[in-house]
Amino acid sequence: MRWKNLLGVLLATSMVAGSLVGCGSANSALGGGSADAAEKDTIKIGSLEDWTGDYATIGIQKYHAAELAVEELNKNGGLLGKEVELVAYDCQSDTTKYQEFCKKLVQDDQVDVIMGCMSSACREAIRPYIEENNALLFYNNQYEGGVASHNVFCTGTIPEQNCEVLVKELLDQGNTSFYTIAADYNFGQIMTQWVDKTVVENGGVVAGEEFIPLGTSQFESTIQKIKDADPDVLVCELVGTAQASFYEQFLKSGIEDITMASTVQIVQSYDHKTITAPALGNMYVTGGFVEEMADYSDAAKEFVDMWRAKYPEEGGVYMEGEIEYTGIMLWAKAVEKAGTTEVEAVIDALESGEISVESAAGTVTIDGATHHAIKDIFLILCDENHELHVENEIDAVEPYWLRDELKIDLRVESPNKQYTPIDE
Amino acid sequence: MSLFGILYQFSDSFTFLILAALGLAIIFGMMGIINLAQGEFIMVGAYATTIIINQGFPYPVGILGGALAAALLGFVMDRLIISHLYQRVLDSVVATWGISLVLSEGMLQLFGPSMQSVSMPLGSVSIDGSKYSVYKLLLTLLAIGVVILIYLLFTKTEFGRKARATMQSRDISESLGVNTKAVYSETFVIGSALAGLTGALYAPTMTITPTMGNNFMVQSFVTVMCGGANPILGSVLSGGVLGLVNSTLSVTISAFFGKIGLLIITIIIIRVLPTGFTGLIEKTGARRRR
Amino acid sequence: MMHAKERLKNNVFEYAIALITLVVVLLIPFYTGLYQVNVFTYYLICAILGISIYFIWGIAGIFSFGQAAFMGIGGYAYAILSKHFDDPSKCLLYAAVAIAIACAVAAILGYFMFYGGINDVFVGLITMCVTISCQTFMSQTAGSQWQILGVALGGDNGLNDIPGLTIGYYRFNELSLFFLLVILVAAFYIVIKIVEHRKFGYAMLSVRENRTRSELLGYDTAKLQVIVFTIGGGIAALAGVLYCCWGYYITPASMSLKASTIPVVLAAAGGKRSLISVILFTVLYYILSNYLTSAGADTLLMLGALLIVVILVLPQGIFATIIQKLQGLIQKAEA
Repeated sequence: MRWKNLLGVLLATSMVAGSLVGCGSANSALGGGSADAAEKDTIKIGSLEDWTGDYATIGIQKYHAAELAVEELNKNGGLLGKEVELVAYDCQSDTTKYQEFCKKLVQDDQVDVIMGCMSSACREAIRPYIEENNALLFYNNQYEGGVASHNVFCTGTIPEQNCEVLVKELLDQGNTSFYTIAADYNFGQIMTQWVDKTVVENGGVVAGEEFIPLGTSQFESTIQKIKDADPDVLVCELVGTAQASFYEQFLKSGIEDITMASTVQIVQSYDHKTITAPALGNMYVTGGFVEEMADYSDAAKEFVDMWRAKYPEEGGVYMEGEIEYTGIMLWAKAVEKAGTTEVEAVIDALESGEISVESAAGTVTIDGATHHAIKDIFLILCDENHELHVENEIDAVEPYWLRDELKIDLRVESPNKQYTPIDE
Repeated sequence: MSLFGILYQFSDSFTFLILAALGLAIIFGMMGIINLAQGEFIMVGAYATTIIINQGFPYPVGILGGALAAALLGFVMDRLIISHLYQRVLDSVVATWGISLVLSEGMLQLFGPSMQSVSMPLGSVSIDGSKYSVYKLLLTLLAIGVVILIYLLFTKTEFGRKARATMQSRDISESLGVNTKAVYSETFVIGSALAGLTGALYAPTMTITPTMGNNFMVQSFVTVMCGGANPILGSVLSGGVLGLVNSTLSVTISAFFGKIGLLIITIIIIRVLPTGFTGLIEKTGARRRR
Repeated sequence: MMHAKERLKNNVFEYAIALITLVVVLLIPFYTGLYQVNVFTYYLICAILGISIYFIWGIAGIFSFGQAAFMGIGGYAYAILSKHFDDPSKCLLYAAVAIAIACAVAAILGYFMFYGGINDVFVGLITMCVTISCQTFMSQTAGSQWQILGVALGGDNGLNDIPGLTIGYYRFNELSLFFLLVILVAAFYIVIKIVEHRKFGYAMLSVRENRTRSELLGYDTAKLQVIVFTIGGGIAALAGVLYCCWGYYITPASMSLKASTIPVVLAAAGGKRSLISVILFTVLYYILSNYLTSAGADTLLMLGALLIVVILVLPQGIFATIIQKLQGLIQKAEA
């Protein structure tokens, strides 16, 4: 029994020691010694992504993209003559961890910008804190749109870009009736509204829709309803690895002649590589970037080669990884224009409408009024062998919704909230 | 929808509930331990199956391999950890929670965030003018087969007799010369193997990730809860009732109501039958004997 | 009944540790930065959740995974009220109403369970179901039809911009919120220690140890359990309110399977029969988790392994064992 006691004491001591180290920071909250960081000799970029947990597939990609971007910046002499440093934490797909480490980045590490967040929930968790402390957040991820905040820039694709293009292209191909299945939370519900709206406005028919709780992995009842509705196009806004189980089950249910479409699968988490062909055969997706675009443009090839050289073991680099990289480059450009990393000056530079980057996914420009990105959207077809083909490219698609329909101009006034189409 | 369509929806729900729950039910019923790592054992089974099939082996080999891998893991876990906690049922909550974290994180480190899955074997079959997946139909038959096998194991074999004796009274069994520790060990391994089998069988229908086990958790817990301590009859009955509720609501309204309905009916069933369907079985059994 | 002096002597180590902890914690703002103070506030909120679990499980033997649900209900109720009325000076009133709502839900659920003869592990499973139902439901409330008092529930993105805690016209800042939490945790410790040695406390113990016997002795066990469960729900709801005041934010994720199991696991690993152990272990777990993540380690893997080792080597829980050992040494030295 003695060794057990000894082990116990050791365990306890190590925990206490660990906790003291965790607390041991230089500046104290009460005892003066204010956080004077004027003489920083590096520029710091903070990163909050999920390296573990449910969102790891995308989180790891984005974290590596940030590493790569920082490496590239330093290779080209850093920013404003200073070295760039990446401070990254694993948020474990947990919103409270985002709050904890966002505060750490702002207060402790005093980073100049934060790149990160995968789900809208974690972005909304830290947004009030970012605004209150006048920090800067780049949210580089596809989402449901509508964030209007002085301190947040969203560079990922939003519904008026990917959803609208997708539906219009499919209508052009002669399809008329659309059925949507979507994850039962904000993103899925709002994307579905955009699909329905675009379908109706352009003369199509909404054949039906169903929302599926996150974490659902068995789809027989859903498939039955699709069978009964018999649409031309099945739009799938399924989120998370569990819901991606749908495709194999749909394939084996024997339904044919339904074109599938999505803005999530393939472009976000390379499902065509993890799901066995031909489950995603004949699926159209819209998005900013896929690794296979290396055959399509030289810029894309250069980026993919660079990525592959550094992360040969990785599953691949797709839309969110690419936009994280581009987001950092956009910020770097704005810093250079402003001549400082001071937040207000950088925001001014970003709002000028002149911050634009030639990325692997084409030209990306920050729209000053909405803090979103004007970008190229690609229509991609996944064939029976799960090979991807760029079918069409629509250049410079505007993030018009906040600006034109809600009359928001963040250069004038910022409401600091997220609008949703349901607000109307 | 045709009659067969309705039956198919029901059997699909039923199969998933039963298979998700069986391993958990046996460990819970026989040992009283809530295995929070049940989902991760399922995940391990699915990984093993996927790897084996991707190596070019036929499906049956892969599925068997999945079950064996989980059984082996169950054996190791039992030796290292669970066997020290037989008498401390609630402490096992902590231990199995720890195991679940270690397994899913370990898998992430080993194989990365996702893995190439295998496709569902067999195609579809047309019945009553509508098409259905043959593999899903086969799963139902397999689930029934597994239940029967387990039933025979616990009623007709020497091990089964010892196990049931231990479940009813550990002390008396021990004094009668039953090695209850061995019985617990074997039970845990069987439970793990069943979880692995579930993972193996569902692997072709699902995306393979380290967190995939979570998708089974809710279904397995509600089934075990309604089933109560009798791992076989209880689970079958509760799988039947819950499957009926789940499939009806999912088809007529939506998947959301299917899930919420599952949870609500469980709460109601527990309120009416505090020990689950086991209590009902025992009551009717007692009445018949009288 | 044990004499007060004797009781003090028998527990001198626990009280000493509690006192030392209090002093160390109060000193935190003097030797760490505002960030550490702020996250420590969050750990103390988790400790309050731990206290609610100690109260129902450690003392009265009710094994519940539902505390996360009550935390969520309290948090959401507070968030909705404070957003609807938009008058920060009445914060305390909103908090009180929010806690009352959670208590009412707990009372109804408790009545439903304990008068229905549900006990032990089944209480754990049924409360887990309730928690997951809450999460599943709240996650899909993104639409405008889901409003309470004109406040949209926000679905999976949750509610943000919840006003901070204000009493009268004083708005708590990061530092004062920290001290408030320290005082609250200390107060809970003292009150529960007192209650444990009152009639109500002994009644709870008897229910934990043997329900049939307590019933035969004339206790209305079901009623007692409902009362305990309701109070426990209230404490958890307080943690929810404070969580909103800390992060200005609440999501359905606070009612997830993970959120409902972690506090229970931490209470068991710390030592569910000893209040100070539950508090200490909960706080240290979160400190360690933060430290490991900052250091870039695989946090979940290491924490999982830690929990397994703790429960194997120290079955009574890590701190409970240490306190017991030290107390034993003292008594031996005296003898």
